[in-house]
This record gives sequence, structure tokens and C-alpha cells, in this order.
Amino acid sequence: MEDKQIVDLYWQRSDLAISETNRKYGRYCHTIAYHICGADEDAEECVNDTWLRAWNLMPDQRPTALSAFLGRITRNLAIDRIKAKNRLKRGGGEAVLALDELEACIPGGKNPELALEEKELAATIGRFVSALPQPAKAIFVLRYWYLAPIDTIAERLQFSRGKVKSSLFRTRGKLRDYLQEEGIC
Amino acid sequence: MLDSLTLLRAMNGIHEEYVVMAGNLYFDSRQAKRFKTKRIITLALAAALILSLGIAAYAAFFSMAQRVPEKSETFRINWAENESGYIEWSDAKLVVTFPETAESREIEFRPGWLPYELPAELGGSDPWNHLSSDSWFKRLTSETLCFLDGPHAVPSYKGMMQPLLIETYYMSMFNNGGALLLLYYTPDEITEEHWDDLGVDVMRFHATQHFDARPEYNMPEYTLEQDMILMAKPDAGWVVRICGEVGMDTLLKVAKNLEVRETGRTMTSDDFENHYTFMDGGVG
Repeated sequence: MEDKQIVDLYWQRSDLAISETNRKYGRYCHTIAYHICGADEDAEECVNDTWLRAWNLMPDQRPTALSAFLGRITRNLAIDRIKAKNRLKRGGGEAVLALDELEACIPGGKNPELALEEKELAATIGRFVSALPQPAKAIFVLRYWYLAPIDTIAERLQFSRGKVKSSLFRTRGKLRDYLQEEGIC
Repeated sequence: MLDSLTLLRAMNGIHEEYVVMAGNLYFDSRQAKRFKTKRIITLALAAALILSLGIAAYAAFFSMAQRVPEKSETFRINWAENESGYIEWSDAKLVVTFPETAESREIEFRPGWLPYELPAELGGSDPWNHLSSDSWFKRLTSETLCFLDGPHAVPSYKGMMQPLLIETYYMSMFNNGGALLLLYYTPDEITEEHWDDLGVDVMRFHATQHFDARPEYNMPEYTLEQDMILMAKPDAGWVVRICGEVGMDTLLKVAKNLEVRETGRTMTSDDFENHYTFMDGGVG
């Protein structure tokens, strides 16, 4: 079923909306959640919560890219879940590794007064990623949006593991510089 | 204070189109394969163009992804000089696309090896005699010359080909939604490689273009042949094309001995007066 038809089902408050969403995006959302949580049962609960959240958001929202819309919900739910369970340092899937990697993007000279609202930070990251060339952009998004394991990224894009790691290393360095230029500490 | 968890959450600011693009690569093996074949993806038919009798090119991204266009497929390309503001190109035999790149680093190159046997084929003219170890180029050709006895020898366009042509292109020149290179020659098998020593993605192939006989002009049928190597560095936004009639083995030797350096200048779309250029089968 086309995304537009699925969205229409939500707007019509049809029970089919969730089953069709699950059929088309169940694996997609489960993969995202599993990458973050590192446990099947947590991932499954995140996916179910995603459908509920989507049901509550549509209407009024009419997402232009349903996959990204659902993926973002799943992602947020999964991050909240591991945070709530305080599992970030005790086996929170790829999130643990990704968080360690992202430490390298945080500019030095921290100044709490300059801390930005998360929304502003998100906009800054959006601009940064938009300006990235390929394939660095795809690799970065797969790693830090999807929390995909490096080995899997390498396998899917048919790059060597080293190429993926070096691309991420360079991009993190650029992000650190960019955040610094933007005055984000 | 910024922390890595906040940063991770803030990745939500990544635009939807890139999330979808990456998701497709991850979850759709066909797209991943295409990406591998040398990436990108934007076939936006908006921007600038490169075209000509042999090859046309267009727009704004890299490393190379290629596909054979549908027979009915028409490429609509902005062309300010045309009354309608665009022109349409059909019958392309190959489409090569690059990643979108807002900035490119200007480069120049110096050949470390050239086929010196060429001058014998060029009517006594030595196309390389102006080269020295200090010579750096943005474009270099070895042209078959005619009117050698006159004051000005000119390139011979017989066959519309050159033995060897090396030239540079910048992805940012076509920075308006995707880079597209249209080839009107029919390529044979395409080889895609990464050359670690030069740090470039490479696409290379042999290509032919057949022309039917035209008795009204007393022209027999004929077929043009050339080999082509495209070397691209996506992080830097440049492409070098090495092509011509001297054979793939010779072109490979030229390419692998090419020294490329950055001039320090950054090229954006605004640096180009025209957002199209000609890139044919090797005509100067």
C-alpha cells in the first residue's frame, strides 16, 4: 500500500491503519529500535508504542515521508527507553558505542551559558548534514540516525569497514569544528 | 552543557530526505548495490548542463553511480539561451550521477607519464614539446593537427575524436540538484574501482558510437570508438576525465601516473559563469 493511502487510513480512523503500517514498516522500525535498545523485547515495545503515537498524531499531522516520520518516533522512544532504564552504560545496543563516538564531536571549552536548546542544535545538525558530500552523508546518517552497526553499514554499502570508520572519523571532526564555529559548546 | 546524548537526540534535525535516502540504502538491497556501484543518486533535472555531440553532463554531486536510461527517457536541462529556458535530450546511452557538492576544491594536474609515441602519428607535430616538469594543467589535449604548413595549425576534427584528452570538472559547477553526465556513446562493460593510492573512485569503459552511411553527402557508415576513465574525489568535489583513442591500457597508465594537487581555491556554483559545459567524446 502506498504511504499516502496509509496516512489516509489514519485520517479516516480506520483500524487498518496500524496493521498496514506494521506490514510495511514493522521491520524498519524494529531495526531502528533494536539498534538503540539492543534487546528484542524492548524493540518490540518501542514499535508498538510507535503505532500508538502515530495514531495519536494523525490527524492532525500528514507526514510527507512516512518512513522518516515513523522512524523518528521509534528512535525517540528507544532513546527515552534506554535513558529511563539507565542502560546507556550497561548494554544499550549501538547507542553506547555511538555515544562514545559522539563525545569526540563536543567542542572543548564548555560553557553552560552557551548551551543551546535541543531544537536549535537539531537545526544546526540538519544544516551540517545537508552540506556533507556523499557517501559521507549516507554513512553518517546510517550511523547516528539509524544507529546502524559499522559492520552492517560496510556490508550494505559494500565498503570496507575501514572506509566506513575513516569516513565517520573525518565527519565527526568536521562536526566538532562546525559546532565550534556556530558557538555551540 | 552539550553532551553526547543530547547530540544523539539532536540528530532528529537531519532532514527527512536524507533519512529516507539512507534508509533506502540500508533496507533496500537494490539501492545499496546501486550506491556501491559508485553512489549517488540525485537525478534532479534542474540545473546546469554539460553536453555535446558525444556526452553531456549536468549538475551537482559525486561519487559515480551509473545506469542505462530508458529508451523513452528525456533529460530536461536548464538552458538559458534557449527560448523555452531548457532543452531536452533523449537517446542517452548512459547516465552517470554524482553527489551534490556545494563546494569543490580547484585542482590542477601534472602528467607523470604520457605516450610519447603519439607525435609520430601527428604529422610531425610534437604535442608534448611544451611540457616540462613544472607544467601544471587544468586541461591537456593531444590533438591531431591539420594545416601544419600554414601559420596556424588547427585541430583536425576528422572523426571528432582526439588521441588523448585530460580535463577537470567540478561538481559544484552544477550545484543545483544533482550531477548528471549523459553519454551518447554506447558503453561496453563498465568497470568500477577505488584506487587507494590516488584516493579516487574510478569508472572506466570502452564506448562506441555508430553512424549510418549518408549517401547524400557521400559519407560511408563509420563507428567512433574511445575509452574513458572518470576519476572522482567526492570529498573534494572534483572529477578528472581521461579519454581518447589511444587504448585503455595507455589511458590507465596516464591516469595512474597523474599527479593532482589542489590550488587552495574553493569553487562554488557562483564561480562559474556558465552552468554548463561541453564534454563530448574527446573533441577539443
